[in-house]
Amino acid sequence: MIRFESVSKVYDDGTTAVDNLNLEVPTGSLLALVGPSGCGKTTSLRMINRLIDATSGTITLDGVDVSSTDRVGLRRKIGYVIQHAGLFPHRTVVDNVAALPRLLGGDRKKTRARALELLELVGLDERFAHRYPWQLSGGQQQRVGVARALATDPPFLLMDEPFSAVDPIVRAQLQDEFLRLQGEIGKTIVMVTHDIDEALKLGDQVAVLRTGGVLAQFGTPLELLTRPVDTFVADFVGGARGYRALGFEQLSEETALTPHTPVKLDERVSDRGWVVVVDDKGRPLGWVDGGNARDASAATLHTTSRFLPLTASARELLDGALAGPGGTLGIVDADGVFVGVLSASSVVEAVQGAAA
Amino acid sequence: MNIDWIWANLQPIGALFLNHIWLTVVPTVIGLVIAIPLGWWAHRSRRGGVVIIGAAGLLYTIPSLALFILLPAILGTRILDPLNIVIALTVYTVALLVRVVSDGLGSVPHDTVAAAEAMGYRGWQRLLLVELPVAVPVIIAGLRVAIVSNVSIVTMAALIGIPQLGTLFTQGFQLRLIVPLITGIVLCVVLAVIFDQVLIRIGHVASPWRRRDVPA
Repeated sequence: MIRFESVSKVYDDGTTAVDNLNLEVPTGSLLALVGPSGCGKTTSLRMINRLIDATSGTITLDGVDVSSTDRVGLRRKIGYVIQHAGLFPHRTVVDNVAALPRLLGGDRKKTRARALELLELVGLDERFAHRYPWQLSGGQQQRVGVARALATDPPFLLMDEPFSAVDPIVRAQLQDEFLRLQGEIGKTIVMVTHDIDEALKLGDQVAVLRTGGVLAQFGTPLELLTRPVDTFVADFVGGARGYRALGFEQLSEETALTPHTPVKLDERVSDRGWVVVVDDKGRPLGWVDGGNARDASAATLHTTSRFLPLTASARELLDGALAGPGGTLGIVDADGVFVGVLSASSVVEAVQGAAA
Repeated sequence: MNIDWIWANLQPIGALFLNHIWLTVVPTVIGLVIAIPLGWWAHRSRRGGVVIIGAAGLLYTIPSLALFILLPAILGTRILDPLNIVIALTVYTVALLVRVVSDGLGSVPHDTVAAAEAMGYRGWQRLLLVELPVAVPVIIAGLRVAIVSNVSIVTMAALIGIPQLGTLFTQGFQLRLIVPLITGIVLCVVLAVIFDQVLIRIGHVASPWRRRDVPA
């Protein structure tokens, strides 16, 4: 657990960077610090491993006050990931990851073997292990940065704009993989970002700071989207809040599906509307348009629509239904077997029913 | 032109050549060792940097002959002691390399230094394991200038009677012979080229990550 108690940072010239901050990051969860530039989010992060010392207040890691801990010893217990990765240009990828364990006296062979495991964990192919950082793309370098931060298996992880220097497609991919990774390793993480969508996507909790280092709101992504405390937070969180909030909601398991009789491949289509086509095991292959085609064949099959389980987020379900053929979404069970369809209006009704 | 002079004097020329090598190499190495902490300080402290680099620039403007003559008075050494030459050249090397080391450390990417600090590298660990290795290409480039310049400055020591290749110039002048003069010049150039090539090789080996031929 990382806890901020009345933490302030005032610089010698009188500027207040962080003003009386109180936060709590439970063990194994991720807190996203987000806000406009000059809101003190990076300062707050850097006070945790004492790259900056707080002027007043205390920060504790599992109950231990950081100001009572030796800086170097403290930093070695906290993984750190920065924008642009900050890799050592003169070391190969594997030696970058093994650098800190080696510094702490680890055996060369063992630390390298562990570094290779970590590279696999962050999804970097082994053939990159003996290249130098300049031979890697920005996204690959950032993966190495994450692996390096995990090298000594620290309980805490600090991340300063870790994914903001890569293009949007790679960023989304890194975020998804990071979520999966965090699911496996369960570190206690504080992440700084200026991207509210990243904060809402990755954070178990999000702290929105305003200029001057004042905490505007601290809550879960759903709380921020559905109950912003003031117009600053509402504006910062941005448009389409109601729709985006659906991304954090699920439909009840008892939501009634509309029955739909699918056809198998190469069977005749008697219905004049859109019909789901399934394989021998009942798993959906796509849709066929009964208005145009007589048979369900590879040539008449439309495969662009998704089939989702009812456990997907309400946002995905609604989006799937809105984009689906005839305004409907095909639903599958946990084994991927087609079980029925849902219309956009029934998704909305289910959400409203849950909220009422 | 009397080429036979060379054959007749092969042994003393060889001795002068060897003398010239150590008179160049020793101060260059000592100068580098002194310049590293000074350059690091100049890099770290803004005010210290201005003072140190300014002072280094001033040192370099002292004429070498004046320094060769002044040093015995300051150090209490005999005027013919080669130590005077070693110390004078060390001063010039330091003067040149303080700025080079400072610039070299400045060439290390900020993110890299910040990451090392945040990972828990102590100051000296960061300097020895991260900053200096990354600064090697810049430092080697400066070292090449310093050593070639030292090869040339050492010849001035002939004027105060310290034997090295410069001795061939004074001999040639006294004997009104062109051959020793040319021999001295050619050997100085050869020596400078050898030193330069050796440093290029060292730089190549010490900074493998800069090579574009590493397997991709």
